[in-house]
Amino acid sequence: MIIETGIPALDDHLHGGVPQGKSLVYYAYPGVECNVFGMQTVHRAISEGGRGIYVTSSTDPRMIRDLFKEFGWDAAEYGDRFVIVDGFSGLVGADSPEQYVVSNPDDAGSLTQAIKQVMEDAREPSVIVFESLSTIMDLCGESATLDAIEEWNRYAMLYDHVVVYNFTAWPYSEDTLAHVKGDIFNSVVSIGGITEKVIFGQYFGVRKIDWDEVTKKCILFKVLKPGGVRVYLPKILVTGPFDAGKSTFVHALSTRAVSVDRLGTTVALDHGHVDHRGFAADIFGTPGQERFDPIVKLLSGEAMGIFLILDSTNTADFVRAKHMLEITESMGLPVVIVANKQDLEGALTPEEIRRGLDMAHDAPVMPVVATSREGVFEAFDVLVDRVMEAGSI
Amino acid sequence: MTTSEMLEKVLSDLGRVGEIEACAIATRDGLLMQANMPAKGDPETFVAMSATMLGAAETASSELGKGVPKRVIVEADDGKLICMGAGPKALVVAMTAPEVGLGLVLVELSKSAEKVEKLL
Repeated sequence: MIIETGIPALDDHLHGGVPQGKSLVYYAYPGVECNVFGMQTVHRAISEGGRGIYVTSSTDPRMIRDLFKEFGWDAAEYGDRFVIVDGFSGLVGADSPEQYVVSNPDDAGSLTQAIKQVMEDAREPSVIVFESLSTIMDLCGESATLDAIEEWNRYAMLYDHVVVYNFTAWPYSEDTLAHVKGDIFNSVVSIGGITEKVIFGQYFGVRKIDWDEVTKKCILFKVLKPGGVRVYLPKILVTGPFDAGKSTFVHALSTRAVSVDRLGTTVALDHGHVDHRGFAADIFGTPGQERFDPIVKLLSGEAMGIFLILDSTNTADFVRAKHMLEITESMGLPVVIVANKQDLEGALTPEEIRRGLDMAHDAPVMPVVATSREGVFEAFDVLVDRVMEAGSI
Repeated sequence: MTTSEMLEKVLSDLGRVGEIEACAIATRDGLLMQANMPAKGDPETFVAMSATMLGAAETASSELGKGVPKRVIVEADDGKLICMGAGPKALVVAMTAPEVGLGLVLVELSKSAEKVEKLL
């Protein structure tokens, strides 16, 4: 059986997820929020009917449950399928409400004892997530922790549990970091920030897996509350000739959107947010009339993918449509052609439109009725797939 | 310090100017780089609109042979909005209360814009 991480794009790159008995570390660079990854993975497990065990080291168990709620996940709903191993209360001398408590959180042996206990007690293969491996390392020392990890992983393998660690790469010894990145886990997902480019963002990427091929790719993400980790596309452009339905398309796709409309036409920009199938995207809709071309040019920089919207009944505009692709300087970017207004009489079929536009054989042309949202999300899926295929940052 | 952290510092310094309620740095093409907007709506949309505004103003003014505008100021009933280019790649935008005099705000905003330009 394979355990999904709850982040669809990551599962794809792990070839489905983490196989039972294997371990995964979310290896985060300082300054990047990584705990949400482990939380999302344990939440995925319990919401799919499995068992999830969360080992907390730096946070009060009650706070953990509150944190889950902030992401829109109610741990209480899953009863005893969600278990917290409390490695925090012992540090501050507080009483713990949890069933599993680590008596001396600054002793690796004491931690191992609690973890072995919970692994044995679990009647079925479970997902065990360590809230903060770095905290454990700070408390128990680097080499004692590394030894303990090997023991935990061996035990997990024996019981077919999946173990997931959140780890922040503080300046530990190079030896320790090399072990964490290199040999003690079956898989490593690195999480970092982009600071070199003009776009500032956070990315994740699979660095190592020992059960299949690694596809090296960095994927931008954003953390939503509620929602958790979403693959993030900071700019998807929606362009096309006048009156093709660009604004309608942006609004049909978006959970929230604003437009600058005057006299029924877009004069500046439509801006919307999409949250769909594990992807979050910001959508920029351009004006269509030629007199606004300078604005189209201004807005189209740094786009990751383009929707070209067409009125399927209006072949006269196809030349203008191709011209708009040129203005946006979209050469080489993934493009999806949206054949809008399919409900109107005289609408050309997607195939006829492809020929009319003289586009490549495999250029995706999607039939859409933006006013009733028909085909809108199908078009989004196709574009996202293309962006992810093309996509490294 | 990473560039991103440096930009954050520029904004938090700018936010400390009493009159400024919210501020942000974005790319010229409307992508958010850094925002300091406590509970002021959606920063992504805000900067996308600001970039469009500044870009449109620059096109309008230079098309008429009046050169590149220094800034765009929007005066609304409930506040003011000032948008200023920060080099060829970025822009800075700030929000104030309606009654605020712009003198100090403009000086501080220009300083921040200069810093941003040098950081990128």
